[in-house]
Amino acid sequence: MLIPCPYCGPRDVSEFTYQGDANRTRPDPLSTDREVWDGYVYDRLNTAGDHREYWQHSGGCRSHLLVVRSTLTHAIVSAGFARDAATKPKKTRRKAGARP
Amino acid sequence: MSGSRAATGGRIDRTSSIAFSFDGKTFHGYAGDTLASALLANGVSTLGRSFKYHRPRGLLAAGIDEPNALVTVLRGDVREPNVPATQIEIFDGLTVESQNRFPSLDLDVGAMNQIAGKLLSAGFYYKTFMGPVAGPLKGTRFWMFCERFIRRAAGLGRAGKTADTARYEKMNAFCDVLVVGGGPAGLMAAKAAAAGGGRVILADLDPEFGGALKWSSETIDGEPSRTFVDHTVSALEDAANVRLLPRTTVWGYYDGNTLAALERVGDHKRDAPKGEPRHRHWVIRAGRVVLATGAFERPIVFPGNDRPGIMLADAAARYAVEYGALPGRKIVVFANNDGAYVSAVALRQAGADIVAIIDVRRSVSDHARKLATRAGGELLLGHAVVDTPGGSRFAGAKVQPFDAAAGTLFGTARTIPGDCLAVSGGWSPAIHLASQAGAQARWDDRLQTFLPPDPGQSWSGAGAFLGRFSTAEAIADGIEAGGGSSDLPAVDDEAPDLAPAPVFEIRPAGGKGSKAFVDFQHDVTAEDVRLAHREGFVSVEHLKRYTTLGMATDQGRTSNVPGLAIMAGARGMAIPDVGTTRFRPPFSPVSIGALAAERFGDLKPHRLTPMHDWHVEEGATMVAAGLWHRPMIYGHPGETIEQAYVREAEAVRGSVGIVDVSTLGKIMVQGPDAAAFLDRVYTGMFSTLPVGKARYGLMLREDGFAFDDGTTWRLSETDFLMTTTTANAGKVMQHLEYLLDIAWPDLKVVLTSVTDQWAGAAIAGPDARKVLEACVTGTGVDDAALPFMGIVHGEIDGVPVMICRLSFSGELAYEVYCGAGHGQQVWDALLEAGKPFAMVPYGLEALGTLRIEKGHVTGSEIDGRTTARDLHLGWMLSRKKPFVGSAMMDREGLVADDRLQLVGLVALDNRPLKGGAHLVDHADRALRDSIGHVTSVCFSPAVGKYIALALVKGGKARHGTRAFISDPIRRRYGAVEIVSHHFFDPDGSRMHG
Amino acid sequence: MAEQVSPLGPAWMPGRHGRADGEAGVVLTETRPGSIVQAAAFPGSEKAIIAAIKKAAGLSLPDGAGGGIATDTKAAFGIAPGRFLVVDQSEGLADRLRAAIKPAEGAVTDLSHGRTAIRVSGPHAEWVLAKLFAIDLDPTAFPLGAGRATQHHDIQAHLHRTAPACFDLYVFRSLARSFWTMLCHAAEEVGYDVR
Ligand SMILES: [Zn+2]
Repeated sequence: MLIPCPYCGPRDVSEFTYQGDANRTRPDPLSTDREVWDGYVYDRLNTAGDHREYWQHSGGCRSHLLVVRSTLTHAIVSAGFARDAATKPKKTRRKAGARP
Repeated sequence: MSGSRAATGGRIDRTSSIAFSFDGKTFHGYAGDTLASALLANGVSTLGRSFKYHRPRGLLAAGIDEPNALVTVLRGDVREPNVPATQIEIFDGLTVESQNRFPSLDLDVGAMNQIAGKLLSAGFYYKTFMGPVAGPLKGTRFWMFCERFIRRAAGLGRAGKTADTARYEKMNAFCDVLVVGGGPAGLMAAKAAAAGGGRVILADLDPEFGGALKWSSETIDGEPSRTFVDHTVSALEDAANVRLLPRTTVWGYYDGNTLAALERVGDHKRDAPKGEPRHRHWVIRAGRVVLATGAFERPIVFPGNDRPGIMLADAAARYAVEYGALPGRKIVVFANNDGAYVSAVALRQAGADIVAIIDVRRSVSDHARKLATRAGGELLLGHAVVDTPGGSRFAGAKVQPFDAAAGTLFGTARTIPGDCLAVSGGWSPAIHLASQAGAQARWDDRLQTFLPPDPGQSWSGAGAFLGRFSTAEAIADGIEAGGGSSDLPAVDDEAPDLAPAPVFEIRPAGGKGSKAFVDFQHDVTAEDVRLAHREGFVSVEHLKRYTTLGMATDQGRTSNVPGLAIMAGARGMAIPDVGTTRFRPPFSPVSIGALAAERFGDLKPHRLTPMHDWHVEEGATMVAAGLWHRPMIYGHPGETIEQAYVREAEAVRGSVGIVDVSTLGKIMVQGPDAAAFLDRVYTGMFSTLPVGKARYGLMLREDGFAFDDGTTWRLSETDFLMTTTTANAGKVMQHLEYLLDIAWPDLKVVLTSVTDQWAGAAIAGPDARKVLEACVTGTGVDDAALPFMGIVHGEIDGVPVMICRLSFSGELAYEVYCGAGHGQQVWDALLEAGKPFAMVPYGLEALGTLRIEKGHVTGSEIDGRTTARDLHLGWMLSRKKPFVGSAMMDREGLVADDRLQLVGLVALDNRPLKGGAHLVDHADRALRDSIGHVTSVCFSPAVGKYIALALVKGGKARHGTRAFISDPIRRRYGAVEIVSHHFFDPDGSRMHG
Repeated sequence: MAEQVSPLGPAWMPGRHGRADGEAGVVLTETRPGSIVQAAAFPGSEKAIIAAIKKAAGLSLPDGAGGGIATDTKAAFGIAPGRFLVVDQSEGLADRLRAAIKPAEGAVTDLSHGRTAIRVSGPHAEWVLAKLFAIDLDPTAFPLGAGRATQHHDIQAHLHRTAPACFDLYVFRSLARSFWTMLCHAAEEVGYDVR
């Protein structure tokens, strides 16, 4: 599998570290809502199809990438810096147990 | 007589005679021969014994599809088993053994498996050996009894016991176009792609490019096909943008157009030049892939179809034309398609007689009739071979009239004598790589075979791979696939139509006659397939596993389609409805050495501290800690490990010691928001830390469990030096980078690993300050200038150093850091300054002992399941701010009183304790519920006893009580007293003193 | 100032090794620069950092990911978004960069001891490096002056193409000896000269 790092170009998957599901947003640090935190820490969608996930280019520029990858075919739909996505305003926040 | 050398012809060099050894006997061949062609030319007909029944087997094919002639190549004591003889180029001194025979190939004791043949039908092992253990010799237990005998009798070659001394390498390659297969389609694709200017790689598994053109009688653009190949190849060799990879099998097609290939660089050489690998594992990332992998001829299944001397028709022609090795002098041909007629003509031209052509079809094309006339011999249409009477080699074919539409035999049989039977049952494109790439094969009724589907964006196909079998089609496809549009070279011969009659098996009524083999390599017969069906196996995948059809090293190249056809027949279905299996890598066997490549032997790189060579010279016993190599003890002659570390630890408590701490993870946290960032990742406050001071910090994971600890030093308003445990340095770095990239991208912070920038030495003991006073210049180190957790900058021996007063041992201690390149110089100066105080170097064992005595935790206690409170670090959890883990750390389960909590243990039997041992409440050695486990152990010179740290349920409330070690595997039992984890100097007066 | 001790130790064996006939396929050298410094920009300050590198080291970095430049004694190239490795044969570069970069714009990290610089040059430099790194080394994909961040298994490396057949590699000091040993092994096939 090749992941197209926006800085380094396409690189072998062995240069990357999977950093988890990107369908979640870290709750407000001051929040004490246990359900929200449970959802953030433990709940995952396990999507069959296009999946948003973080990959760190740990063996290259060390940037975290937001990758959309098909879990059915391994095809990489898109890859960009996670920072760019993270600095955009966030809208969705999923409750524990909720399914899209 | 069997095979022999033709008087003339072949691409062999008859002036260059080569001597090689097969089963201890010396044979001669010519340069250009494979082991298979050379043995054939020498009249050797039996090259191996079959897998289950030990039947004599000869050559079926001439290429990588050969299922029978697997041999073991010897290089000294190094054995490489299961190599097809068709893939071995002979060289002077080549030494080869046949396989699966005892005591010899001709006289094989195991052949009595044939007599007991019924025993070994499909599913024999499952039926006989699986199931409950009911008696002394039933089911699984029976298998355990029989296994060693069966394993010896059934199977392929024997692996050697001598380590492989050959060299293997990996190579990364990138190209715009990868062309797989160097036949006419592949050659033209490579040529066209090269003309387009892109970077092209052309790989072929044979030593020479050309594919079937190497043994074709066609002419292209007026020149013999072989000359056409030579001209094309030399043009490609001259092109700067083309890399030619002969002897290279592309065996894996992975995501992202990444392909794996094995180049056999040195297998055909007696001696490799220095540094040249035997095999090269290519990982090729291609923009586009052209699959020009050709097709495999398949046999027809009929009784007695495995007798040596029975060969695929195209293989027979290839031996005769490419190698000048005639598989027989009187050849019988058996076919269901026109291709075999071309083979017959080629064999005739090479000097053999064609006795008869037997065709299952009642009528054939005019073209076939013309070819039959040129080949000579009798043309028997509407007939089939029903058996091959004889012994260990083919002597004649029993033929009988055959109704191809009904699949039935009728009339009377007669025997046609001959010394070779050339069989063609149609052609199967080599779609393996396309299948690996995810393509579902589709059935073609006309060609009676599976074809690749329409290509995706990543690859395109050409030639026989697409079921377009003629040279003209291959050339046209190749040029198109390569992106070219040049004029097509003209092929003058009329191509045969390879569409076969849909006949896969000749089955005499009542199932009488010899065994009819489908999978030669795994000895699977047509009856085995039908038996599997009768026993309820309907899925192709189940059939495959139950019968092992197609699961041998040849991956069923010759057997898949006939096997499916027989299954379809049994189920009364059409072949495409039965389905086909998905091919998986590797396409053909790959040496493990090539995959390991440079990681052969010592798998991990060694991480060495700047003082590594000194440690080794000083006689330290080094121990691996992750990638790092660290001194465990500096043993004196005659000392045990325990004596050594106790001596070292006592020296630290008594006077002073020095230890290499360069391996501690070090991360520079820099920027205007560095302090705010640290407040968020540590449980404690760092924004309040003054410049020039250090603070102990604890990190939690998001789920509230403890993650890592270490000190962080504030070097300036915006610069912090964070230290982590040696083991967690990489994980902590990734954790911080994740938070910075994803959770807080707005923070102005830069993280950089500086572990290797600094050499570190810890000086610990009552005399530590005196050692520093003797060598540090440019700064004071007294209590005022350098208080506990203070940082100063100075020089030692002219080298700038940074000194922080902190303690892991509980003694007065300092960590001295300097540039790694100066580490040894500063270390030497510290040793010199320590001489008057009898300073000793100490290793990891003493370091561990000192910290266990103090009750400090490391990775054994911060094991991912413990909380800060479990480890008595609750005081570090700030209530003034949120931090990573703060929202989750107070969950009920994490604050319960009966959690595993850190305690100290003292052995009451004065014997060493062992890490990992469980603790129970009773002394009776019965199986009891664990109340906890031992995490770290040592002999404590300070306590004078064997002590340990342990995690014990509700441990805080158990201080002063007894527990019992229960370690049945290592047979360690005995009583311990549970005590506070602070064994030594609990109020910390020594390090503050 | 004291001289740095090489981490290569006994693994550094000058002279010709491996395949003995013909010209050495590659020449392997530890270049031992006095300064290896990371200059990192906070988001939005990349231009300011590039200007500071120009000011402190006299090197004009081209735009674009992995862009770089090399002279006989100095080099600079991008290793990550907003991050540059700046190298000088003489010491003191970190201080000069610190003076040129405002704390609000970026951070300077001295790696002069933390990274080991190894030069692989010669006609087979690409061939030898292709055994170790899964990156495209062809000049069309890795042009003169450009830098790349990659890894060989556990060993992270920064590569800088400083001449058509010359690559300068920067690896972690603690792993340099293991890496050097692997590099020498990979170079045996083409013959190599250690200088
Ligand atoms: Zn990258």
